[in-house]
Amino acid sequence: MSNFAIQPVSRFAGSSAAIRRPKEIAYFSYDDDHVFHLDERSLRYYYPPNLGVDLSKGFDTFQQLDDTADDHLDGLLKTIIDLEQRTGTKCTAEVVTWRGMMTKIMAAPFDNMSGFEMNATRFQDSIFIEENHEHKLESRKQQHAQPSRRGAPSQDLMSFWGYKFETLSLIPDQWDSTSREVIETRENMVVNNYAQYCSVVKTGIGKARMLIGGEVDALWDCKPDNRDDPINWVELKTSAEIANDKDTLKYERKLLKFWIQSFLLGVPKIIVGFRSQNGILQRFEELETKNIPGMVKRGKGIWDGNLCINFTAAFLDWLKQTITTDGVWRIRRRERSPVIEIFRNEES
Amino acid sequence: MGVPALFRWLSQKYPKIISQVIEEKPGEVDGQEIPVSTAGPNPNGEEFDNLYLDMNGIVHPCSHPEDRPPPSTEEEMMLAIFKYTDRVVNMVRPRKLLLIAVDGVAPRAKMNQQRSRRFRSAQEAAQKDEDKEEFLKMLKSQNNGVVHEDATAMAQKKTWDSNAITPGTPFMDILAASLRYWCAYKVNTDPAWEKVKVIISDATVPGEGEHKIMEFIRSQRSSPEHDPNTRHVMYGLDADLIMLGLATHEPHFRVLREDVFFQESKARTCHICGQKGHIAEACKGEAKQKEGDFGEKDKALTDKPFIWLHVSVLREYLEAELHVPQATFRFDLERALDDWVFMCFFVGNDFLPHLPSLDIRENGIDTLIAIWRDNIPLMGGYVTKDGHVDLERAQFILDGLAKQEDAIFRRRRQTEERRDANAKRRKLEEQNRSRSQNNTVQRGRRGSPDYSSPSSGTIGRAKDPSIAPADMPLFVPGKGILTKEERAVTHDMVVNRGTVHKANAANKSAAAALKSQLLGGQIDPSSANQTEPSAGDGADGSGQNNTPQSADVTTTPVSASRKRKAELMEDGDAGTPSRDSPDVSNKPQADSDEPPPDNVRLWEEGYADRYYEQKFNVDPKDIAFRNNVARAYVEGLAWVLLYYFQGCPSWTWYYPYHYAPFAADFVELDKMNIKFEKGTPFKPFEQLMGVLPAASNHAIPEVFRSLMSDEDSEILDFYPTDFPIDLNGKKFAWQGVALLPFIDAKRLLEAMATRYPLLSADDVARNALGKDVLIMSNRHPLYEEIATNFYSKRQGSPKYKINPRISEGLAGKVEKNEDYIPQSSLIFPLEEGVMPNLDEDNSISVHYEMPHSVHIHKSMILRGVKSAPPTLDRADIEATKGRANSSGRSHGG
Ligand SMILES: [Mg+2]
Repeated sequence: MSNFAIQPVSRFAGSSAAIRRPKEIAYFSYDDDHVFHLDERSLRYYYPPNLGVDLSKGFDTFQQLDDTADDHLDGLLKTIIDLEQRTGTKCTAEVVTWRGMMTKIMAAPFDNMSGFEMNATRFQDSIFIEENHEHKLESRKQQHAQPSRRGAPSQDLMSFWGYKFETLSLIPDQWDSTSREVIETRENMVVNNYAQYCSVVKTGIGKARMLIGGEVDALWDCKPDNRDDPINWVELKTSAEIANDKDTLKYERKLLKFWIQSFLLGVPKIIVGFRSQNGILQRFEELETKNIPGMVKRGKGIWDGNLCINFTAAFLDWLKQTITTDGVWRIRRRERSPVIEIFRNEES
Repeated sequence: MGVPALFRWLSQKYPKIISQVIEEKPGEVDGQEIPVSTAGPNPNGEEFDNLYLDMNGIVHPCSHPEDRPPPSTEEEMMLAIFKYTDRVVNMVRPRKLLLIAVDGVAPRAKMNQQRSRRFRSAQEAAQKDEDKEEFLKMLKSQNNGVVHEDATAMAQKKTWDSNAITPGTPFMDILAASLRYWCAYKVNTDPAWEKVKVIISDATVPGEGEHKIMEFIRSQRSSPEHDPNTRHVMYGLDADLIMLGLATHEPHFRVLREDVFFQESKARTCHICGQKGHIAEACKGEAKQKEGDFGEKDKALTDKPFIWLHVSVLREYLEAELHVPQATFRFDLERALDDWVFMCFFVGNDFLPHLPSLDIRENGIDTLIAIWRDNIPLMGGYVTKDGHVDLERAQFILDGLAKQEDAIFRRRRQTEERRDANAKRRKLEEQNRSRSQNNTVQRGRRGSPDYSSPSSGTIGRAKDPSIAPADMPLFVPGKGILTKEERAVTHDMVVNRGTVHKANAANKSAAAALKSQLLGGQIDPSSANQTEPSAGDGADGSGQNNTPQSADVTTTPVSASRKRKAELMEDGDAGTPSRDSPDVSNKPQADSDEPPPDNVRLWEEGYADRYYEQKFNVDPKDIAFRNNVARAYVEGLAWVLLYYFQGCPSWTWYYPYHYAPFAADFVELDKMNIKFEKGTPFKPFEQLMGVLPAASNHAIPEVFRSLMSDEDSEILDFYPTDFPIDLNGKKFAWQGVALLPFIDAKRLLEAMATRYPLLSADDVARNALGKDVLIMSNRHPLYEEIATNFYSKRQGSPKYKINPRISEGLAGKVEKNEDYIPQSSLIFPLEEGVMPNLDEDNSISVHYEMPHSVHIHKSMILRGVKSAPPTLDRADIEATKGRANSSGRSHGG
């Protein structure tokens, strides 16, 4: 077993390690029935919702995806294989994973409370990282077991608000091609989280070259004429309206996740829908991803974006040095632990 | 939109929509002009991306100005246009795009108005030339045949026919070539133009200038890469540009125009000798004064200040005014704005006569808004949607108006009677005063209203400019050389002619009176809109113009020339200080000038019967006819709405009557099914034949001319040399309806078809459909891409979609322009030496095609719009809401 020390984080401070701007190399969609397709049919566009809408409306008809089955890296790998077949060239990357895994790692210096467990497989000079499915189910069960504050909305309702906000903010086509009726009836649409558009990007942090797959919510305008130009993705988030200092602190902590998620896929813009305590959409704000670390620095200053990048670069270096042989490895961080552990997974 | 006084009404009701333009003036060192560097920050404290020029608003005043002598050659006109355009561009300093749109062939629906204007304009020009001739004769007889050569030259010069400003004329060709040259020249020589893309849509591209601009803006909005926070400025003279601004649903939109209030206080030139300082009646035909004396003054006069009309602020006002708390559906500002624009159409537009019961000066728009507000809860939704009228809901509005119609007419009559009584009383008072006063000459006090600080954007409203000071001094024209003070007074006379002129008549010397008579009482026609026939030409003089009429129509014999300057100030508020308050100065005072009696008498019962009988020659019992007229009118409203919001729905549709129906005639609208046949625009020569009078035939290829004048021409009836003008209850000819026959497109085209084979190759080219041109500097990032695609070894397709990320947001296609030769020199297309040639042209010119969406343009703001901080404060908003609840309901019903 090897340990990677998170603390003291100060040793990762300073200007950030080299990063490669994420570039979309492939994509895939899950359709409304969550069937996989190697196309962009589930690509959506952003158009703002009306304010004052009750985000709880339609909770009773929410069609929620059952994700208890372990999908591993299936979608991502299928897409990469297809790309390799189409182009006749091999995708070389040292790390291949979902955006969610990288988010957990990157947030580790400033997120002491959440632990994680991942499985890493080394195959032909690439390390494939996926979530340890049992751990995921287990921690979800624990989360649900926690009683929510009295009078506060349930976890389920609150996660519904996020999907509802997406439904309210998305249109199926560019604004010009979308009819007024479609735009105006979004409030009555059944909320369903089956459909997804996932972008597969080539990126790099420090010396590590990576392929990351992750869901992106929407396009701001359209994919650029020049395929090398960055794509104007939009990430949609909801957050409780900020009333006091404590709320600000909570919000800035949330911004850490927002920022990392968008940073990793090269999403330049985040739309935050602020809601009241009981889920009424009050206003929204457009955040430029690149400005978020600065915002936080000028705010409560509870996290540092450069430090996250440097930490990730160092961790990936260490990961590559540690996982040197084929087989399955476990990457684990226990709650509140100052270290990330890597060890060979005996189970396999 | 030909709504007289719309601009004034808007600026009075919504004062904060106006603020003054801050203009950096060129410096001067040792008499050398140091041009302003417009690459620097805009002195208005805000930068603008796109400037759109409704170019006819520049071409008209530059080619036949009303405040200085007209340019003597077409080259000079072009120079004046360049100069003026340069000034406008320098004010705005667009950083991304300049779109110059010249009127191309207009939809058939517009041609009725164009025709009426051009026929009147030709009459006016003929009248002017006649005046000059008469005057020269008179001078000769007075001065023993000796007349200064300047005066002779001036008087002999024929008035330039502004009807040449119509698509398809040689003049428009010259204009297009000149504009292309000038833009390329600017792009080459002015650093502020290096990053600007210039699009020229000349007269060969169909569509009215402002609507081509609208189409462009809609096309860009349909492009996902359009920046929703683009800052637009549109320059033009029509007050309804502000409606068009609203109709774009772009929130950062301004209209730029000359400050017409300022202009009112400025002297105009004598139309006989072309000099300043006196009016035609005082003209002595003297030598031109030396430059420097007048030259300097001249400059001050041409540099009229400009104002902004902030569409964003109007949006704020209307948001307060149109919000109806009782509504059963969600308030949607964009939809409400569209309804508001729709209601403005009822009060006047270029395509339909306004409803008899609605007059902007009687706050007709307020009446409609009140009806609209009252009916919002009943209608259950907005009247319009993305340019389409919900006819069932429109019926609510018209029913609401119909209920008030009788009361409106009665009230109008009462107001008029009161006004007449007041005028009579004032006239008596004046006569008394003038008897008791010795004619001291002193400067009249009238000026442009002052503006408070530009930041507040408020226009200070001075006293009603139409009311002359009671102690207005009187000018004695026969006296000889004018003193400075007298010149100042002259200007006041021009402006406040109504009051002063009549009072003066009594004081005229016998010689002056004679001259006045010889001149037919003509006063500078540029301001004749407020001119009533003078004592000199009385009833007898005008009687000669009388043409036999259908006995049923109340027509006036007043010559059409005595109208306002038609095209120049289309909505007529410019230079017409008293039009929306005609109580004093507009009132004819000599009894002999009383207009013919109004036989319709809208204020008396049975008016509708009389109206249809007299205006339409239709049996009063024929109610079905009235409903048909109303249906045609509704079609017209639907057409206009689509025209504004989606682009021309039909090139061929038009409203086939000279008069509007009453609100009460609109029935069962919900049963109507309106469909438009798109059709195709006229060719330029067809439009010319459709709108020009025979007197302007010089602008038409020779082969067609005889169709206008030959006895055996099968379409001779389209070109009457004299035509009746129905005052239609109004007092002045320019307000009246020119009763010209409508063009029958089929007959016109058939008649022309026989002549087409005779056209020269040049003419055929001028009659062809043109394309928009895109010009930019080789320093613009897009240059490289286009040059590579069209002119390098790696040539791409001859037409391709440009990348908005390189073009800074401009979407569309470009196509190789075969007329453009890369790395050639830039040659001024007109007379050599007037403008410089450039050995090396560093600009590129391509054809540009805007993106064509197949979808309905939605009246919505785009995602990502960032609204400007509000201009209105709480008090403004409360006041606006308060007025919305109380106004427009004075007619009962
Ligand atoms: Mg126009």
